[in-house]
Amino acid sequence: MTNQQETTTETLYNKNFWYADWSFPIFVALLSAGIFAGTHMYYQYHIGAFNDVAIVAMLEAGLQGAGYGAAAAFGASFLFARILEGSLVGILDIGGSLQTGIGIGVPALLLGAGITAPLESFVLSLVTGGVLGIVIGYVIIGIRKFTVGQSNSTFGADIMMGAGNASGRFLGPLIVISAASASIPIGIGSIIGAAIFYAWKKPVAGGAILGAMLFGAFFPISLD
Amino acid sequence: MELVEIIIKSIIIGALVGFGVGAGAARMFHAPKVQGMGAFRTLGELNACAGDAASHFSFGLGFFFNAWASSVGAGAFTQDVDHRIIPNWAAAVLMRKGKRPEDTLHNPKKMAIAGAVIGVLVVTFLNSTASAIPESLQAIAIKVLVPAANLLINPVMPVIFWLAALDAGKRSGLWGTIFGGAAHLIMGNAVPGIVLGILIGKGVDDSGWSKVTKTLLTSVILLFVLSAFFRGFDIQIIRSFNLEAPNWLIDLHKLIGFEVK
Repeated sequence: MTNQQETTTETLYNKNFWYADWSFPIFVALLSAGIFAGTHMYYQYHIGAFNDVAIVAMLEAGLQGAGYGAAAAFGASFLFARILEGSLVGILDIGGSLQTGIGIGVPALLLGAGITAPLESFVLSLVTGGVLGIVIGYVIIGIRKFTVGQSNSTFGADIMMGAGNASGRFLGPLIVISAASASIPIGIGSIIGAAIFYAWKKPVAGGAILGAMLFGAFFPISLD
Repeated sequence: MELVEIIIKSIIIGALVGFGVGAGAARMFHAPKVQGMGAFRTLGELNACAGDAASHFSFGLGFFFNAWASSVGAGAFTQDVDHRIIPNWAAAVLMRKGKRPEDTLHNPKKMAIAGAVIGVLVVTFLNSTASAIPESLQAIAIKVLVPAANLLINPVMPVIFWLAALDAGKRSGLWGTIFGGAAHLIMGNAVPGIVLGILIGKGVDDSGWSKVTKTLLTSVILLFVLSAFFRGFDIQIIRSFNLEAPNWLIDLHKLIGFEVK
């Protein structure tokens, strides 16, 4: 990269709204507002929580009267870990921090304390999520300034990005293996799909899924 | 009337979530200089589809059926809506005319707008379709994609991150091993611990035991202690070594409102 290009990238990252540090809390706020409102949907209509069945089940246990301790502790510890990690590596994990922390942990804390209003009102749920998101966004940018910004170290972010990229490559073969364990026709379908996609120089994962689905439609397996 | 209410709320939620996820995902490609938002696995999977619209679409589709089944059955979307469906479908939409990922997938503005549109459609659809999906497709999602994704998260990702830590130098390897092992014991997955181990190891490699790295190590240890406590790991460890858990510790757990059996 030449010097001029480097300066252009620097300015783009610092000044441009879409890349800047100061706009990050806004993006977190919008996403958090949506996720918290998703939990409102679950509270009100029993649909629309942004999390896996097992984690939503913890909140459900609380709603059924079994206590909010598990959901609150689980959500809060995830939120704390992901904020610290996210600010240092440059990627905030939205699953642990926002979906589990804001979407499950905070509602469980509120409900445990007897505060129901933010979950009963749609508008209030958006506001609550948004405010929490802004706070988290600023905490992350703050930690970044204090750590990554203060020293010349990137704290091994390149190594982690490399590992993250490498793990994506495993997905295609894993899908074929998993399909082959599900049933013979589905396995054959995923092998053919993967092979065709590979020959077309396309990612193997996509072909393996499509092949498995196509054969699964003709030779269905039961869920039991 | 309730359905209309659900649809209107879903449109708002979908737009907010999609916008945030799209912008965050595109920003990940500029990390660590720009603070991104998503997950390492989302980044890896987006890269695995290599900017090919059909692959991005089919990858999202598989998880869409899973999310659909899960929301019909339990009212839970699965985390895949934010981690996989919205980012991959947004990428697929942007890249349909064979455009380069650098101009589309890596551009936060384009991804935010595409994500918002996809978010509205996906969230509204999932929240308003109470009828079941074809069981054959549901079965494929649950019996093929979920095991594959679970294998990726454990043990494949921990191993890859662990090996990367070992290869990155003595300090990263050492701290990665210690915190990775501890994370698997306490949290059930080694990746967060290995990531923190690499952070500390590389931080010390680059700038020595400065105030920043010391603070970092202290907060990581604090994090492990707190999450061990809140998951009741302290009681479990005492009992696993055939010892009696002291009453004051059990009472302390009760006081926080998290009772251990």
